[in-house]
Amino acid sequence: MICALTADERSALQHGLRQLTDTMPPREVWDRIREQAEAEGLLQQPTNTRRRNWFTGVGLAAAAALAALMLPPLLNPPAETFPVVPADVPSNTNATELTTLQTLMVQSRQLESDLRSLPSAPSVMRAGTMATISNLEDRIAAIDFQLNDPAVQMSPEDRELFWRERVRLMNSLLQLRYAQAQRAAF
Amino acid sequence: MSKFADINIDDGIIRRAAKGDVRAHEIIYRAFATPVYAICLRFTKVPAHAEDLVQETFIEIMRSIGGYRGEAALGSWIRRIAVSKALMFLRSAWTKRGQALADDWHDVTEGNAASHGISSHPDDALDLDAALASLPDVARAVVWLHDVEGFTHKEIAQMMGKTESFSKSQLSRAYRRLRPLLAVDEKTQPDGVAVRGY
Repeated sequence: MICALTADERSALQHGLRQLTDTMPPREVWDRIREQAEAEGLLQQPTNTRRRNWFTGVGLAAAAALAALMLPPLLNPPAETFPVVPADVPSNTNATELTTLQTLMVQSRQLESDLRSLPSAPSVMRAGTMATISNLEDRIAAIDFQLNDPAVQMSPEDRELFWRERVRLMNSLLQLRYAQAQRAAF
Repeated sequence: MSKFADINIDDGIIRRAAKGDVRAHEIIYRAFATPVYAICLRFTKVPAHAEDLVQETFIEIMRSIGGYRGEAALGSWIRRIAVSKALMFLRSAWTKRGQALADDWHDVTEGNAASHGISSHPDDALDLDAALASLPDVARAVVWLHDVEGFTHKEIAQMMGKTESFSKSQLSRAYRRLRPLLAVDEKTQPDGVAVRGY
C-alpha cells in the first residue's frame, strides 16, 4: 500500500474532496471567450445569410409557421420559472399527430408541471446538490434565452435540437429534485 | 467518479459546435464551465488565474473540436484539455521561479495540517478545501487528479512528465498531511466514514 491512510480514511478523503463546492466562473468569462473566439475567427455568426437556394422559401414558410406557434406566449409570457414553453401546444401527445418539435414542447411542459408539483426545495441542502441544481437551471436558462431571443434566427432543425437538449436537462433537474423530495420526506 | 462523466451533450450540438456555432459552444460552456473551473481553481488557488485557464481551455476546445471523433466521452476529452492547461500553468509558474515541475515539499514544513494553521479538531469548520490548499502545488495536483478525477498514477506521470513513483510519493506525502483531518465514525455514517469539519 502506498498511502498513509487506511481504506476508510482514504474513502472519507475521496468522498470529502468530491463534495467540495464547485462554482461557475464569473459571467464575464464567457464574454471574454466569445470575444477572443470571434477575433480568431473560430465562430460563425448566429445568423446565416449565405444560404440562398431554392428551399429558402420553404424555410421561410416553416419559420413563419413556427413563429405563429411561438409568438403568442412570447408576447405574453406567463410568470413562470421557464417561460419558453408555448401555451398553445396540445397538452398531451394523444391529442393529434404532433411534429417532433411539438412533442418536445409537450414533454417540456409536462416536465415543468411535474417539477412544480414537487414540494418546495428544502431550505437546507447539500452544497453539491445545490450547485448541481443551480448548474442545470443555468444551462436551461441559457437555452431559453437563445430560443426566445428574437435576434437569433434558427432553422427548424436547430430549434428541435435545442428543445431536445432542454427536455434532457429538465429531466435531469426533475430527477434530482424528486430524489431531494424523497430524502426530505424520510 | 469525475464530475465530467455525469455531463452528456447531444451529438447534434457537438456537430454544430464543430462548425463553429456559437450557440452550441455556449451550451457546451454552460455544461462544463463548473468542473473545468474547479480543476483550474484547485491547481492555481487564484481565481483570476483560474478564469484565464478556463478561457484558454474553452478556446482550445473551439480550435480542436473539429477533430473530436467521439472515441472518448466529450467530458473526458474536455477534462484532458483543462488538466493540460492547468499543468502548463504550474510548469510556467515553476519555470519563472527557476525550478522544474518537481518535488516542492521543501517549501513546506513537513507535519500535519494543524502545524500549518489548519485545525484538526472535528468541531472546527475548517475544511478539506483549506487543507488541500495548504499542500504544495504538485502534491495538490496529484491528489486532485488521482482522487477526484480518477486518473491512474501512470496517467498522472505521463501528463506531468514524471515517473509513476513520483506520483505515488507525492500522493503518499499529501495523505500524511491530510490524515489528521479524517475520522472514521461508524455510528453516524452509513458507509462508516466521515470527514472532520463537515
